[in-house]
Amino acid sequence: MIRSGPGRLFFTVLVALLFLFLLGPVLLVFPLSFAADSVITWPPSGFSVKWYLALLGQPDLALALRNSLVLAAIVTGLALVVALPAAVAIGRGQFAGRDALMTLISMPLLLPTIVLGLALLILFVGQGLIGSWTGLVLAHLLVTVPYALRVLVTALGTLPASVEEAASSLGAPALSVFFRITLPLMAPGLIAAAAIVFLVSFDEVVITLFIVGPKLTTLPVALFHYVESRTDPLVAAVSVLMVLFSLGLVAVLERAVGLRRAVGGKGG
Amino acid sequence: MTQAAPGTAPHLLLDRLEKRFGTTLAVQALSLSVGRGELLGLLGPSGCGKTTTLRMIGGLMPASGGRIVVAGRDVTALPPHRRDMGIVFQNYALFPHMTVAQNLSFGLEMRKVPAAERAARVQKALEMVRLGAFAARRPRELSGGQQQRVALARALVIEPSILLLDEPLSNLDANLREEMRNEIRDIQQRLGITAVFVTHDQAEALAICDRIAVMRGGVLEQLGTPYEIYERPASEFVAGFVGRANRMAAVREASGAVQLGPLRLQGSGEAAPGPVTVMIRPHRIALCDAVPEGEGWNGATGRVARSTFIGDLLSLEVEIGGASLLVEQHTFAGRAMPRPGEAATLRWRAEDTLVFPRSAAA
Ligand SMILES: Nc1ncnc2c1ncn2[C@@H]1O[C@H](COP(=O)(O)OP(=O)(O)OP(=O)(O)O)[C@@H](O)[C@H]1O
Ligand SMILES: [Mg+2]
Repeated sequence: MIRSGPGRLFFTVLVALLFLFLLGPVLLVFPLSFAADSVITWPPSGFSVKWYLALLGQPDLALALRNSLVLAAIVTGLALVVALPAAVAIGRGQFAGRDALMTLISMPLLLPTIVLGLALLILFVGQGLIGSWTGLVLAHLLVTVPYALRVLVTALGTLPASVEEAASSLGAPALSVFFRITLPLMAPGLIAAAAIVFLVSFDEVVITLFIVGPKLTTLPVALFHYVESRTDPLVAAVSVLMVLFSLGLVAVLERAVGLRRAVGGKGG
Repeated sequence: MTQAAPGTAPHLLLDRLEKRFGTTLAVQALSLSVGRGELLGLLGPSGCGKTTTLRMIGGLMPASGGRIVVAGRDVTALPPHRRDMGIVFQNYALFPHMTVAQNLSFGLEMRKVPAAERAARVQKALEMVRLGAFAARRPRELSGGQQQRVALARALVIEPSILLLDEPLSNLDANLREEMRNEIRDIQQRLGITAVFVTHDQAEALAICDRIAVMRGGVLEQLGTPYEIYERPASEFVAGFVGRANRMAAVREASGAVQLGPLRLQGSGEAAPGPVTVMIRPHRIALCDAVPEGEGWNGATGRVARSTFIGDLLSLEVEIGGASLLVEQHTFAGRAMPRPGEAATLRWRAEDTLVFPRSAAA
């Protein structure tokens, strides 16, 4: 521990610089979004809220936002339905190859997303899944289930098996043990998993780029295309809203369960 | 003492029970029976298979071989929720998201006991462990001793046919441990419930158990009352594990007498002539004025090597013909304190001179 003197000062400055480096670009979009200019310039020549008002006149972006929210909600529900039984099997089951299975399911996290996107494109084209809700949901599940599984397995790991054993010794069959004991005790993990899945899905752009079609697109992809042709501060305004939305979700999560506990730290 | 009356069937019977983990045998050919209303202690050093045995009885772990029979019925293949056994875990394993009352109520709900009766039984069980006022608390709002009592009440409120306790006191401090062990014994006797109590603390086992099964390396070493285990240990291991003892290498002659260095001793025990181990408990050796003559007594003179006053005990180390004997005496006001270097005369009974075949281990 560095407690005092120049060492401490150095440490503080280092941390401050690190934060600035990490958060600088994010912080920058706040003033940019209030710029009065019609192209992104730094520093802005004046301030206004016109780009926020301009958002209202963008039906394409509004539709993409609606799509993204619906998609994230569906993906969140399905990812939990898939990941919960898998987490219980991996966290509580005793079978050969448990670790191998966990590694296999975590694989999409380790592969370059561009490779996944290409693979899905090849796979989906023949099935007519490109530009379809089914295709988007499947692609997002592939990316998000590993996250959900990680969080849920961690949540199960912090749950002592003896509590479940106590329940079964008191006369509870396996299903009662699960619904009366295991599931309620996993609630923080479930909420955390849901929030993370929602955010990852809402944010996903690389793989989604390959899957979307002309009639069905998501907000990040729509923004991506928007900045390809235009460079006005509208995207900054959207970015600000997305940052605030994400922060809001994290704040709710922290309030509800304590983020650190939910993702497996000590605390609590 | 409540024990299986001769002729009546045992309440719990373990028949050549066995547990294998890969190639290691954690429990081997364990056969024993527990009478109705009996409190049986499973005692042994760490890793000897006590928990494994208890978990097999409770159905939390499948047996690799052998049978578990309760009241004449083979339960070996039954899952835990159909065994009707109450288990008290070392870490209590209370349900953290439920109140104390809900913890107790859980087992009754699983048994489809009507709500009104449930509430009454929960309250009665809580009062039995003197926690009547704590029904609405959460487990984390209780002290260790209180949590322990909730765990006990939760296991008892379902009126199980057998109560299993795995080192239920090991997380408590010494004073509370003694109080709680007596409380467990009281309740067990009042309810007349059959119980298996796992511990590695020999004092705890001696104090409250009707009979004790001493285990070592997955094998039952001796099964007997606390008196038998302590006074007539079946092996060098049991004598050393239960209570303390001086342990010396000696030779038994064909006559039965034991030659310990220059000393010729009378000993108890069936050990055949040849190399033996002699064990004598420190407090069974007395300081006296003259080496006793005659049947039934052994004696020796030696030199005090160390003398320690520990309040209620006087602890001496006495050198006798090459061996060093630990001697413990109760103190009383005015008792003379032998000093290092002084001569001391000792005597002890032949029955207290335990003779065992010399074993390589232990
Ligand atoms: N799940 C397991 N897998 C492999 N080996 C095990 C397992 N559980 C126990 N063992 C082994 O079985 C033996 C007996 O273990 P057990 O837990 O029954 O000991 P114990 O007598 O309860 O000890 P303690 O007093 O330390 O609790 C030990 O050698 C242990 O390493
Ligand atoms: Mg144990």
